[in-house]
Amino acid sequence: MDDSGSFAEQWMRRFAASVSATEPELTALDQEAGDGDFGTNLDAGLKAALSALEPAPAGGTAAGGLDAAGATGGGGSPGTAGGSGDAGSTGGARDAGEAREAREARDAGDAGDDVPALRAVATAFLDEVGGTSGPLFGLLLQDLAQAAEEAGHRLTVPALARGARAGLAAIQRVGEAVPGDKTLVDGLAPACEALASAEESVGPANALAVAADAAWQGVRSTADLRARRGRASYVGERASGVPDPGAVGIGLLFASAGGTVTSLAPYLEASGSGGGPGGG
Amino acid sequence: MTLPFGNSLESLVTDALEGFARAHPDTVEHVREHGFLTARHSAPARRVGLVSGGGSGHEPLHVGFVGAGMLDAACPGRIFSSPHNRQVFEASRAVAREDGVVHLVKNYTGDRINFGIAAERLAHEQLPCSTVLIDDDVASDSAEIAAGRRGTGATVLVEKLLGAAADTGLGRQELAELGADLVGRSRTLSVASAAHTAPATGLPAFTLREDELEYGVGIHGERSGRTVQRGTADELVREMTETLVRALGLRRGASVVLLVNGLGAATRLELYAALRDVTRVLDAHGVATERALAGDYVTALDMRGFSVTLLEADGATLDLYDAPAHTPAWSR
Repeated sequence: MDDSGSFAEQWMRRFAASVSATEPELTALDQEAGDGDFGTNLDAGLKAALSALEPAPAGGTAAGGLDAAGATGGGGSPGTAGGSGDAGSTGGARDAGEAREAREARDAGDAGDDVPALRAVATAFLDEVGGTSGPLFGLLLQDLAQAAEEAGHRLTVPALARGARAGLAAIQRVGEAVPGDKTLVDGLAPACEALASAEESVGPANALAVAADAAWQGVRSTADLRARRGRASYVGERASGVPDPGAVGIGLLFASAGGTVTSLAPYLEASGSGGGPGGG
Repeated sequence: MTLPFGNSLESLVTDALEGFARAHPDTVEHVREHGFLTARHSAPARRVGLVSGGGSGHEPLHVGFVGAGMLDAACPGRIFSSPHNRQVFEASRAVAREDGVVHLVKNYTGDRINFGIAAERLAHEQLPCSTVLIDDDVASDSAEIAAGRRGTGATVLVEKLLGAAADTGLGRQELAELGADLVGRSRTLSVASAAHTAPATGLPAFTLREDELEYGVGIHGERSGRTVQRGTADELVREMTETLVRALGLRRGASVVLLVNGLGAATRLELYAALRDVTRVLDAHGVATERALAGDYVTALDMRGFSVTLLEADGATLDLYDAPAHTPAWSR
């Protein structure tokens, strides 16, 4: 996978690769708990988003030279677009510790801008994806994009924490689910807590890794829950022992910041991935 | 095609939407790109856009109530399926006024989620949005039904009354409160003698014997009610009306608006006869039927059945009811 583009763009590309690689496992999970379209829906949404992203911040290809000159970036981000149209700035900021420096870079057109990729994926999930879970992921990404925009177009650790918390709140307003209802909230809520307690200095990649661990732990706990909301609530006991696919998607999202996830199995077993006490 | 007069199940809703726009070109505009209808005329005094929507198959709801004095936009989903959040989002953006929009949402999980997602997206664009949740169906009023009462026949009355209130220049918050109040004063009960045709199979969605009725049926054929022996019509209507009178706590001297609504395949003769029977029961309770109407307003495809809705009405409510409206399915 090429490693040009903003931190968020790389994250979203890896998320897409993870979803694509684990789509059969996601589908199998969803067939037990829901109607089996979750994996394909996510996959289709991400493909649509990323193809929409290609032409805009053209940085997709390796060389990384003249990136995304104009302010005509993707995603139709409202309001703030107008920055100084300084073409070709080659901000490579994407790693830990560079958050502060990154925040100073306010040029909406620069290659380190985390907003366009997040907005593109958010809009694709909200506009193009059927079912319920896909658009709910869109709400989370919409709030991450918003928080990044407010942090100088950089997905800093505080921006991640703020965006994830706002996304969780939006998802809960819409779906009226609380932790324990066996929905994606069971993955997202612990991830939000982990992000909230992460130090800014560790950088977004490390903060997301910690969030991923927390999310997977939440995911494993859903296996023993009986669904009270969402699709899985209709099948009741039949879905016990199976983790909630939406929550698994949240685990995949956060884990993908550190690399492509090629199999769910290590994360769904209680001792997987540096895994904490697990769900029993 | 399992419905004999449609080209295909895939295209039926969009075909009908195009036809509907052709039939009412002076009243509605069809925004094809996003799949919604907007009103061509709406009172300049309105400060809030009114947006509703829901699964198709309930026509004339909601598209028939787009126009002056009622809805500013309607978003039809596929048959018995919620509209996509994008339709609601784009329709809301199209008709928002200075004080934003109010969403009128029937209480079904899919509708709530999709309107809710649209509301979150509107908030990101600094477009204020409030929601009126319509849940008037007495048959689904049970502690065991976590999703709560369903939204049924009262929807059309709420759309009419809130439309008139919006035309007086009320703000979003006031409209939302009035809407909640109107819903709280409305209850509906439905009964069917035969199911609708399930579009997926072309067969009746459920079967009843000739001497049976589905009492408390939902507008998608939900059978959470009970199957009862068919008695005389006036006995049936008496039981329905007394249930509604109890549910609303109507006392002697109260006034109501009455809607006897066909579910798709009941004859007008039967609907008007039922209306007469309802008013007799109300008379006996000392409840004044101030306004009454019968017809197909909130249907369930071709279900052979009807619903009775009572809305407790004071003088202000009746003024809203009497205010002029000009839409494809409501003109008076």
